[in-house]
Amino acid sequence: MIKISNLEKIYRTEEVETVALNKLSFEVKEGEFVAVMGPSGCGKSTLLNILGLLDDPDAGSFLFNGIEVAGFNERKRADLRKHNIGFVFQSFNLIDELTVFENVELPLIYTGVKPAERKKIVEEVLDKMVIMHRRNHYPQQLSGGQQQRVAVARAVVNNPKLILADEPTGNLDSSNGNEVMQLLTDLNEQGTTIVMVTHSEHDARYSHRIIRMLDGQTVMQNIMV
Amino acid sequence: MLKNYFLIGIRNIWRNKVFSAINIIGLSIGLACCMLIYLYTMDELSYDKFHANKENLYRITSTIVSPDGSKNETGITGMMPGPAFKNSIPEIESYVRIQNEGLTIRHNNEVYDQEAQYVDENFFRFFSFPLLSGSPTTVFNNLRSVVLSEELAIKYFGTRDAIGKTLELKFGEDFEPFEVAGVAKTTPQNSSLKIKVLLPMKFAESRNKDTEWINFYLNTFVALKPGSNITAVENKFQQVFQREAAEQLKVNAEKYGFKEKVSFGLQPLLDMHLSTRFQAMNGLYDASNPVYSYILSAIAILILLIACINFVNLTIGRSLKRSREIGIRKCVGGQRSQLIVQFLGESFIVSVIAFGFALVLVNLVLPYFNTLANKALSFSYLFNIKLVLGYALLLCVTAFLAGFYPALVLSGFNPVKTLYGRETYGGKNYLSKGMVVFQFTLSTFLIIAVITIYTQFNYLTRYDLGYNDKGVAHVSAGRMDKAKLDVLRTELMKHPGIEKVAADQGGGWITGARINNGTDITFDYKYIDETYLPLFEIPVIAGRNFSFPLDTANGVIVNERFVKKAGWKNPLDQEVDFFYHNRKMKVVGVIRDYHYASLNETIQPQLFTFHPSHSYNDVYLKISSGSLAGAQDHMMKTFKSFFPFRPYSIKFKEDENLAAYESEAKWKQIITMGAILTIVISSIGLLGLATIAAQKRTREIGIRKVLGASVYGIVRNLSLDFLKLVLVAALIAFPIAWWATNKWLENYPYRTEISWWIFVSAGMLVTLIALMTIGFQAYSAALAKPVTSLKAE
Repeated sequence: MIKISNLEKIYRTEEVETVALNKLSFEVKEGEFVAVMGPSGCGKSTLLNILGLLDDPDAGSFLFNGIEVAGFNERKRADLRKHNIGFVFQSFNLIDELTVFENVELPLIYTGVKPAERKKIVEEVLDKMVIMHRRNHYPQQLSGGQQQRVAVARAVVNNPKLILADEPTGNLDSSNGNEVMQLLTDLNEQGTTIVMVTHSEHDARYSHRIIRMLDGQTVMQNIMV
Repeated sequence: MLKNYFLIGIRNIWRNKVFSAINIIGLSIGLACCMLIYLYTMDELSYDKFHANKENLYRITSTIVSPDGSKNETGITGMMPGPAFKNSIPEIESYVRIQNEGLTIRHNNEVYDQEAQYVDENFFRFFSFPLLSGSPTTVFNNLRSVVLSEELAIKYFGTRDAIGKTLELKFGEDFEPFEVAGVAKTTPQNSSLKIKVLLPMKFAESRNKDTEWINFYLNTFVALKPGSNITAVENKFQQVFQREAAEQLKVNAEKYGFKEKVSFGLQPLLDMHLSTRFQAMNGLYDASNPVYSYILSAIAILILLIACINFVNLTIGRSLKRSREIGIRKCVGGQRSQLIVQFLGESFIVSVIAFGFALVLVNLVLPYFNTLANKALSFSYLFNIKLVLGYALLLCVTAFLAGFYPALVLSGFNPVKTLYGRETYGGKNYLSKGMVVFQFTLSTFLIIAVITIYTQFNYLTRYDLGYNDKGVAHVSAGRMDKAKLDVLRTELMKHPGIEKVAADQGGGWITGARINNGTDITFDYKYIDETYLPLFEIPVIAGRNFSFPLDTANGVIVNERFVKKAGWKNPLDQEVDFFYHNRKMKVVGVIRDYHYASLNETIQPQLFTFHPSHSYNDVYLKISSGSLAGAQDHMMKTFKSFFPFRPYSIKFKEDENLAAYESEAKWKQIITMGAILTIVISSIGLLGLATIAAQKRTREIGIRKVLGASVYGIVRNLSLDFLKLVLVAALIAFPIAWWATNKWLENYPYRTEISWWIFVSAGMLVTLIALMTIGFQAYSAALAKPVTSLKAE
C-alpha cells in the first residue's frame, strides 16, 4: 500500500539545518499494523505527516497504492486524504466548537455525503465506539479516553484504507490507553492498514511490525509474533 | 457543509463575547452611518424626479457679465423670457413662471404672514403635483382664485374640503377676497417646489404688467419637445433676446449706464437641487451642495473601514486559537478554498448581526439625523427596491472587506504546524500595525478638524462686528413713512425699558450711482432714520449723523470702504449722483466699516439715505437689560394698534446674526459626531489588540515578574509598542490636517489662525485615549500572578 524510497526531509532556518528524514525507505502492505518507534526528534512525526500527505518530502519517492504522490498539489492531496486516510493524534485534536456528533461528521461533509446518510453512518460509528450517549456533548465535557474514542471515530468514519496514529495513547491513562489500542487492533482486523508512531513498547506490541528509527533513518525492523 | 460553517460561526461568536462585541458594535455603527448617508444621498439624488415629464423640463438661467468681466450667474429671470421664448422658439412646448411673494392673509379676523407663489395657469399640467380637489385645467381660470396645500387648507378651514371657501389677501392697504379653487396634495419632501398658496400669475400681471427684460426675480421653467438640441435652443434665446430687448437695452444704456451683457441658458430640472452654479432659490427650496454628500459619505465609509480594520486585526490576532481547527479540517480533507468560504461565511454572519443592529440604530437616530441634515427621511424608504439592493450590497461588501484577508491568512496555515502547536503568527505584523496607524491617523485628523471648526465658529460668533447687536429687538412691521415712524417711536418709548427705536428698509440691495463726475460705483443701499446709527452704536468717524429735516433732501452717509473705493481724501460734501432719478446727493457723514452682513462676506461700499417719504419696514428697539419681559406686552399692543393687519413677531438681532452660521453649527455637530465615533471604534479595536497582545505575552509577563519586574514596568513595556503606533499616526495626521483645515478656512474671508496648540492638543488627546485603553488591559495583565501566567504555557 505504501512504498517510500530514499525519502528526505530537511528543516532549514537561517542558521540551522536539521535533517528529519535521511534517505528513508520502507514498505507497508495493505492490512498491516506497523508501529514506528524511536527517540524524540528521530523523524517519526515527520514521517507520519508525509505519509498523511500533510507535508511534502524534499526528495525521494512515495507510492500510495502504486501512485507516486510525492509531487501532488494541495487539491489532489486533500482529495486523496479525505477518501483514503484517517488520523488519530496524541492530543485528540477535536474541534471545541463542535459536538461529538459534529466532529465525527466532519470528514463526511468534505466527501460530500448527503445529510441523511451522514447521520446514519455517524451513529453507527459512535455506537461502535460506545460513545453514542455523548453525541451532543462538546469535547471539553468528555474524559481523555472518551475524546480519543471520538477522534478514532472521526478517523474511521470515512472507512479509510489507512489510519495514521501519532502516539494515540500518549495523553491517556493505561486503562483508556488499552481501550484505544484495542479499537485500533479491531479496525486492523477488519482490514484497515495502520501506521502508528509511539514511544510505548506496550502499545507497539499490538502491531505486526516495529520500525525503529534514529536520526531520520531506519535502524531496525522487528516482526512481532 | 454550510450548516456546519454556520454552527461553528455562531458558536465562535458566542464563545468569544468580548471580541464579537467589539466587532459587532464597530460594524453596526459603521453600517448605520453608511445606511444613513445612503438614505441621505438617495434623497438628494431623487429631488424632482417624480415629475412625469422630468427629462424635458428645464429652468431658464441668466448670466450677467459686467464691463469689468465679473460674472453674475443666476437661476432667475423676469416676466419676459417665458412668453417671448415660447412664441419664437418651436422647441419650447410650454412654460411656467413661479414668482415668490410674502403675503398677509386674513381669515376669521386673524392675520397671518404667508409665503405664496404666483404661477402660470398651466402649472398643474406642466408639473406632476396631484390635486386633491379642483381641476388641473381650470383652477386658475378665475383671476382671484387660490390653490392651497392640504396642510394650509386644514390650517385655515379645518378641512381639506375647502373648495369655494374664501381667504382675504392683502395687497397695498386693502384686503381682497380670493376663492379656493383647488387643494393640492402634500408636496413630496424631495421637491424643490413646495406648494403652499398658489395664485394666478395673471393676477400679478393685472396689478403690475412688467415688460422689463433686465429684471430678475422669478423662476421660469420650460418644457422642451423630446430630443431638442439644448445648445440650439440656447442660441435661439440670444437671438430672441437681442431682437426683442434691443430697444430696452438701448434705453437702459443711455439712461442708467447699463453696460452689462446678458445671456440666457437652460438648466435641467433634475440638476437644479444640487447645483451650486444656479441654485434653487426665490420660491424654490432645499438648494443643496453635492459636497455635503461627498463629505458625509467619506466620513461614513471611513468609520465602516475602521470597523472592518478592527475585524481584520482581531481575527488575525486571534487566529492561533483557530489554527487547530484549520489543521483538523485540512486533515480530514478540507481544501483551502473551502476554508476561505467558511471564514468569509463567518464574517458574513457577524456582518448580518451587525446589520440588524445597524437597522435598529438607524431607526433610533433618524429623527436626530433629520434635524442635523435638515431632512425628512423616513425608515419606510427601506421598502424602496434600490435602497434594499444598495443595503444588500453594502452588507456583502462589508462582509468581504472584513473577512477576506483573515480568510486568506487563516486558510493558508500549515496543518502540520497547527496540529503540533508550532504555528505562530507574529513577526513584524506590518499590516496590522499599519492598520492601527491608519485608524489613529484618521482619529487625530478628525480631532484637529473638530477643534478647528469649533475655533472658527467661536471666531465668527464672537467677532466684533463693529456695532452692538446686544439687546436689540427686531420687528418686521408694515410699511410706514417717517411721520408714522415718529408717532410709533413716541408710543413705544413710553415704556421705560425701551431706550431707542430706529427703522430701516433694504440692505442687500446692490445699487449704482455716479461719482467724481462720471465714475460708476456700486454699493449696498439702505434707507435709515436718524436713530439707526446711534441705536446700533455705529461710530461716525467724519461729518455727522443724519439730522431732520436738514439731510432729508440730499444727504447721504457712506462707510469707509465706499470712501476708499471712491478714492476720496476729503469725503464730506462729495457728490453722489443718482442720475437715473435726477438726484444729486452730498456726503454728510462717514461711518466706520461694520459687518452689516455675515462674516462669510467681506464688507462692501455702503450708502444710507434718509427721506421723509421713505417707506420703512423693519423696526429696531434697544431694550435695556432686564426690561424685555416687561416691555413685551407694551410692544405687542403698540404694534397691533399701529398695524392691526400685520402678524406680530419679534426677533433679536443677536439671534439673527447667529443664524447666519447655522451651516457652520451643523457641520460642527456632524464632524464632532464623526470624530467621536471614529475614536470610539478605533479605541475598542485597540483594546482588543491589547488584550490579544497581553494574552500572547502571558508567559513573558510571568517570567519578567519572577525576575523582579514591577507592575509599572510591565505596563510600560506592554503599552509602549502601541503608543509608538499612535504617535506615528499623529505625525502622519498633522501635515494632512494642516493642509485640509487651511484649505477649508480659505472659504472664509474672516478666519481664525491655525495654531500649534490645536495639533498638540489633538496629539495629546489621542495619546491619552490610547494610553487609557491600552493601560487598562496592560495593568490587568501585569497584576496576574506569575504562577498563573507561567502555567498558561
